[in-house]
Amino acid sequence: MLLFLILLPLFGGAIAFVLPKNQQRRTILPWVSLIHLIGVGSLWKFLPDTQFNGFLGLDVLGRLILTVVSLLFVAVSFYLWGYLNDEEKHSDRIFMSSLLFFLSAMTLVTMSRHMGLLWIAIEATTLFSAPLINFHRSPHSVEATWKYLLICSVGIALALLGTLFLAVAATSVGTVFLGALLENASLLSIPWLKLSVIFLFVGYGTKMGLAPMHTWLPDAHSEAPSPVSALLSGVLLNCAFLGILRVFQICVAAGQTAFAQDLFLIMGLLSLLVAAIFVIGQADYKRLFAYSSVENMGILALGIGLGGVGLYGSLFHMINNAFAKGMIFLVTGNIYQAYQSKKVKDVKGLLGSYPVTGIFLVMGFLAVTGVPPFGTFYSELMILNAAIQSRHYWVAFFYILFLAVIFMGIAESVLRMLHRGTKGQTTGPAPPMAGPAHKEDLRLILPILFLGAIVLILGFYMPSFLDDALKGSSALLGGR
Amino acid sequence: MWLELALILIIFLGIIILGNNRLGTMIQLFALQSFILSMTPLLVHPGIHAVIMTAATIILKVLVMPSLLFWAIRHVSIRREVQPLIGYGKTLILGGFFIGAAFFISSKMDLPVKAISNLLVPSAFSIVMIGFLLLVSRFKAITQVIGYLVMENGIFLFALLLLEKTPLLVEMGVLLDIFVAVLIMGIVVNHINEEFESTNTIHLTALRD
Repeated sequence: MLLFLILLPLFGGAIAFVLPKNQQRRTILPWVSLIHLIGVGSLWKFLPDTQFNGFLGLDVLGRLILTVVSLLFVAVSFYLWGYLNDEEKHSDRIFMSSLLFFLSAMTLVTMSRHMGLLWIAIEATTLFSAPLINFHRSPHSVEATWKYLLICSVGIALALLGTLFLAVAATSVGTVFLGALLENASLLSIPWLKLSVIFLFVGYGTKMGLAPMHTWLPDAHSEAPSPVSALLSGVLLNCAFLGILRVFQICVAAGQTAFAQDLFLIMGLLSLLVAAIFVIGQADYKRLFAYSSVENMGILALGIGLGGVGLYGSLFHMINNAFAKGMIFLVTGNIYQAYQSKKVKDVKGLLGSYPVTGIFLVMGFLAVTGVPPFGTFYSELMILNAAIQSRHYWVAFFYILFLAVIFMGIAESVLRMLHRGTKGQTTGPAPPMAGPAHKEDLRLILPILFLGAIVLILGFYMPSFLDDALKGSSALLGGR
Repeated sequence: MWLELALILIIFLGIIILGNNRLGTMIQLFALQSFILSMTPLLVHPGIHAVIMTAATIILKVLVMPSLLFWAIRHVSIRREVQPLIGYGKTLILGGFFIGAAFFISSKMDLPVKAISNLLVPSAFSIVMIGFLLLVSRFKAITQVIGYLVMENGIFLFALLLLEKTPLLVEMGVLLDIFVAVLIMGIVVNHINEEFESTNTIHLTALRD
């Protein structure tokens, strides 16, 4: 089953590469992702044993992230169906096959039980997502792709060095299989472990978009086609987060929890600070939400750094954030198609011209900034609770401060987009393609509704299977 | 003895790449460095594992990747670095300083693994730092790719320590990943050249806050 889930998108991608027509490729994508989702769903009955000489295996944490990946991918693939019809007419052969290879690489990330294989899988996600960002082939998107490729590759190269240091630290263990490392953690050489943890944090942290290594993220998220931005910020960042969590697991087992938690706290607060600075007065609405991704990754790091109930909160926030971010970036796709501009000032009267998209924008905005009744609110609250329980009062103070600043920064831009300008400003050029000329396509609405509903439901009701999964995962990270 | 000679040659080639400004020569120097590098597994742990590594490295790093890089710059008219961020003299001095630092740091670390040669760890770190220096101090996209590859060569040297313990599958996966990375980077360099009519990344400044 595990191998099937990796190979299915791989073959799908290969078939998509061979098929001659765009239309056929667009039909293959939702089918492959649906079968993938069904396969993932079947794994919830029981966890399969490790396979392939112990290289592949799934624990509670991996299964949780795999499920999020698969669900979001299904939503995006149905969205793409409607989205691409209006987008450029040129061949999407490379795009479609990269998209499916990307799914395969992410599946491999969640299943890797060997630190070297984990590195290979995370690097593969970078490589297959780069062509996705470059879909439009405009000077801007080429620039974003170059920065993404180079910064992430260098970051990931540092992570490879970190993995080798880990192998040196594990000389007496003999392998870097995750299971063996966790069982024999007391044999690890502590100075080398610390060195490797720093390199792995910097390396995978670059991929996750933690400040100060986040510089590629706003460019890549704003220049990629919106459905791709949704995938990048909804699930790719989580895959990198999983990489860091694996390192954290080893630290916990080796009794170096405090050291790793300090790193998490510093990077988390720094990310929140950077997001708060750049969100204010941001002229590009996709960059705005990209910085919100930096913010949310900071929150995840903070939750892990605080420990205790923060572990549960952080994992819960990861799920909420994935769906909320996926939703908001799909909404920006609708806005972009209607106005053909990514500038906040070019988008006016959204609520009047495109009521459904407007309402979704409000919903998505409330969801990503963590306003009740959305699930994000409760997960952010749990992390605040963790900060107070562990007596990190300064952390709690800055956490609330930055969240408030970011909320106001995003609110300002979103409100400007919703309404028509004040009367003095209406003399400017009319927004291009304004009016109902461009009807709101149902195919571009339903996937957003689906993702929005998940975040909303998670705010009201926690299904018991999810609760168990979150508890099991935080137990892996040393929580109770 | 032979291993030490190879390591010293690899560091020398790194320094020469750092001081060079012709793209074609840099690619050839990188290929030569990779060729010497590919011999090291045979010198460390002769055996079937090492032979496979050597063969794979020669095919990918000595033959395929350099030709890919030459392909990427085939239409580029200005084949030398113009105005590096840090001058050549300064980069060379910095490079020398980094090599010294690498030797100093390595002498302070005690290795739990059996060290094959005293030179191995310091030269690995030196090459990683030289590659990094190349990457941050130059503007040509292709020079940045070469910097990345030199960095990977340094990591490869460090991995020699663990050659016996690493599963072959993982090593091949890493090599394959790096190959695909260079393939995609080559294609993007090509796009940069088409869009900006230059491979100078100094033009890539439209996206900022």
